[in-house]
Amino acid sequence: MSTLSRDDRLFARSRALQRQQTKVSYLFLLPALLFFFAFVIFPMGMGIYTSFFNYTMGSFDFIGFGNYAELMRDATFGRSVVNTLIIVVASVPLVGVFSLWVATLIYKMPVFSRSFYRGVFYLPVVMGSVPVVVVWKWVFNKYYGILNWLLKGLGVINTSINWLGDARYAIWCVLAILFTTSIGQPIVLYVASLGNVDHSQIEASEVDGASKWQTFLHVKWPSLLPTTLYVLVITTINSFQCFALIQLLTRGGPNGSTSTVMYYLYDTAFKLYRYGYANAMGVILAILIALFSALQFRIMRTDD
Amino acid sequence: MTSLAKRESRSPYAVIMGALLFVVALTFIFPFYWIITGSVKSTEELNAVVPVWLPAQVTGEHYERLFVEPALRWLLNSVLMSVLSMALVCAVASMAGYVLAKKRFPGRTAIFSLLVGAMALPKQVILIPLVRMMNTMGLYDTLWSVILPSVGWPFGIFLMKQFAEGIPGEMMEAARIDGAGEVRTFTSIVMPMIKPAFGALAIFTFISVWNDYTMQLVMLASRANLSISLGIATLQAEYSTNYGLLMAGATLGSVPIVLIFIFFQNTFTQGIALGAVKG
Amino acid sequence: MKKLVSLILAAIMLLSVSGIAAAEAPLSAEITWWAFPTFGQKDGAPAGTYEQTLVEKFQQKYPGITVKLETIDFQSGPEKLTAAIEGGKAPDVLFDAPGRIVEYGKNGRLVALDDMFTDEFKADVGNEALLNACSDGTTYWMYPISSSPFFMAINKEAFEKADALQYVNLEGDRTWTTENFVKALEALHAAGLLGGSVYCGGQGGDQGTRALVSNLYGAKIANEEKNQYTIASEQGKQALTLIKELVDKGLLEAGTDIVAGDEIKLFAQEVLTMSFCWGTSAAKNNPTSFTQVFLPFPSDDGVPELEYLVNGFCVFDNGDENRAKAAKLFIDFLCNSEEVGKDNVLATGAFPVRQSYGNLYEGNADYELLAAFTAYYAPYYNTMDGFANMRVQWWTMLQAVLTGAKDVDTALADYTAESNKVF
Repeated sequence: MSTLSRDDRLFARSRALQRQQTKVSYLFLLPALLFFFAFVIFPMGMGIYTSFFNYTMGSFDFIGFGNYAELMRDATFGRSVVNTLIIVVASVPLVGVFSLWVATLIYKMPVFSRSFYRGVFYLPVVMGSVPVVVVWKWVFNKYYGILNWLLKGLGVINTSINWLGDARYAIWCVLAILFTTSIGQPIVLYVASLGNVDHSQIEASEVDGASKWQTFLHVKWPSLLPTTLYVLVITTINSFQCFALIQLLTRGGPNGSTSTVMYYLYDTAFKLYRYGYANAMGVILAILIALFSALQFRIMRTDD
Repeated sequence: MTSLAKRESRSPYAVIMGALLFVVALTFIFPFYWIITGSVKSTEELNAVVPVWLPAQVTGEHYERLFVEPALRWLLNSVLMSVLSMALVCAVASMAGYVLAKKRFPGRTAIFSLLVGAMALPKQVILIPLVRMMNTMGLYDTLWSVILPSVGWPFGIFLMKQFAEGIPGEMMEAARIDGAGEVRTFTSIVMPMIKPAFGALAIFTFISVWNDYTMQLVMLASRANLSISLGIATLQAEYSTNYGLLMAGATLGSVPIVLIFIFFQNTFTQGIALGAVKG
Repeated sequence: MKKLVSLILAAIMLLSVSGIAAAEAPLSAEITWWAFPTFGQKDGAPAGTYEQTLVEKFQQKYPGITVKLETIDFQSGPEKLTAAIEGGKAPDVLFDAPGRIVEYGKNGRLVALDDMFTDEFKADVGNEALLNACSDGTTYWMYPISSSPFFMAINKEAFEKADALQYVNLEGDRTWTTENFVKALEALHAAGLLGGSVYCGGQGGDQGTRALVSNLYGAKIANEEKNQYTIASEQGKQALTLIKELVDKGLLEAGTDIVAGDEIKLFAQEVLTMSFCWGTSAAKNNPTSFTQVFLPFPSDDGVPELEYLVNGFCVFDNGDENRAKAAKLFIDFLCNSEEVGKDNVLATGAFPVRQSYGNLYEGNADYELLAAFTAYYAPYYNTMDGFANMRVQWWTMLQAVLTGAKDVDTALADYTAESNKVF
């Protein structure tokens, strides 16, 4: 903070200097802002604007809140919202807890093993959705997938299950894959922030006879809070945006059981040419994400 | 600290947890292992009901078939897109991050809030307008249509700002007293100071553009312009049960990026962690 | 006098020469051609191999025109087309079928092809229904090359093994009844073999499952006026109830995760013993080690109504007259030229729309059978309004029924309400 006040003093020196500083700052910002406004803000504005139009391949008519009103009645959209929320609500805590568990196990390991595990859990992220899905699609295949072979071999099931084609299982299959592609970054973050925890405090707590769990709760956890908040927020955003997996794996089926808002948006736009309607979904999705992120900030802040 | 670690590693709890961790780790390695071995298995082995863990004989037939497609071109496209995005993001974000961290000027807070707020925005929400924009700019179905939006994404600015905040004001003041201009201060003082962030951001951008399937799917159309991810996805749609071909494609698509990651893992993980943990 | 005659002659010659020159004024353009895999490839060559040879032949004949070929697949191709249209890089020529093409036409994205539908061509086709399939009622948007019925196929050896072949009619036009279809499935099941899969993981090849459902008890997909989707009739309900029952008993597979392309491959790999989406292209692109027996869809009265495919080309309006002209020239070359016209019909494995091409499949028993199938052609509904949306509703409806998420009545009611919203 001392640098800040110093800066402040510096720039208070003269108004001329300040004007010059402002000019320089904006010059430095210019390229970034140019890209940001051109490729994020402007299209976002267009998206919001066109969401009030019956905008299709052949027409562009203003219909006010017509798209939004239709969304409220659209059962598939409702189901997509529910599926999206299921994915978010199931994956966010799971990713948080699991990555913390892995991180606590590996952060004290020798450099090589730590790098090894960190790398392994990051592997699915690095490989990318498409190669990962190629493998998983085969794993879940009803006729020659490894999962049915394994479960039949273990005597868990008798007849092959159509994992991706059964509404009871499909969304969990998607979740399982999403999980493997989501925990890489949280683990990296947790390992780093666990490494930053003051060791003298841990030792002191253990000398006092505190159990491992107590040490964790009272010493480590408080300093992990900012990281946890960050992990929760990025996982939430990622889960809300789950699209590639679904597009490649189930195309929203069976029976809409894996259709997410993002997938339904894509389907509506690119299969039914209803761009305005799709953009209205996008707006609602953005609002949902903003609400969730705000909620997380609120909860984590009161914990503090 | 070392004695503590040793004591813990011997307890039964630690042994069980260690074993469990190892088993879980195996399932994470499995896909990678499976595409690499699968790409050199015979078709019979790939379609066998009982999984074949290692090919009896290595075959190159799937790769031969893969290279009938412009697979190397796809790979090159992915590399080009990732490298160009990386360079642009690093340049643009470091300048912006630096002034947002170290300068005081009207509008700073507003701009920063806008940038952070936009990070929560799902990219896909702007897909359709972006397609139309690329149409107007004549860039649809070119690599630029994937590169440019990735540069607009504010994550890099955010990361760079976190780093630049650590630069001591004295150093910059000293440079100014020495008569260094703004540009000199930036290139000779700021840039060396935030070097680790460059590394992290470079790799992060590289990986995320490489794997940005959604943007590639919507923006690229011609077979010669596809990225490697999109190319494999296309093959999957066309030859859904030719697993050998798909595994060969997946191997070609993931081995280079995995190697890059392994090589730069420490730069990457440290940079990402530092930036985020501070935030 | 002689002089005058020779002068006139010379003038005529000059005129005709200049006329030829005008006609062949080297048109210079670069056009893009997007092709769904409708042309069969020889010996399992990769997609686009045959098409590329056509491009080369065309470019030799018209050196000023460059054709850039792109192959697309039925699963992701339609979405790619939408993106390309909105991205301003729509192809100049698209090789597809009326469903999508007429929709693009109605949305003002295509160049009208009325000038290509000459009286000579219409007379040669001589089939009102087929010509109508290429237009939206006022404008021709698609130039057809070939047409063939959709049908189903079974694995003869597998049926023999399961003693199910007795239920299949191998005589004449092979029409068979729903009752025998069920018996055959039961025999297959008893022998531990899988029957067919009611695939509905997406819209690819959905005409196959529509044909199955509509034929079982003679339900109609659409009414005669083409302004209602009508599968929610008593017959339609009966058919879906039967299918659900067969799926529950394990006689049919609930293909909620696969589309026709996957089903075809599962059939070719002998996982399934029948395919509901067989057609001449599928047969050409998927050589099998077993004997394929082509069959019409089973129906309660033994008189099937078969859907048919019309393959054809359309030209996108890219705001460049030269390119549109070149595109039409290219289409004309592909469909009507001496060099490749007939070969192209053969490559689609379908029947030529031009009667003057004669019987291209002389002595081929399979094709004689297919020619017999054409007697059972059903009314063509692929150019109806709301067709794209109806397709989405169709497979969602099947998924709902097969997974038991909705009972047949509710699923059909929802399907009808959604599909008919457009009218």
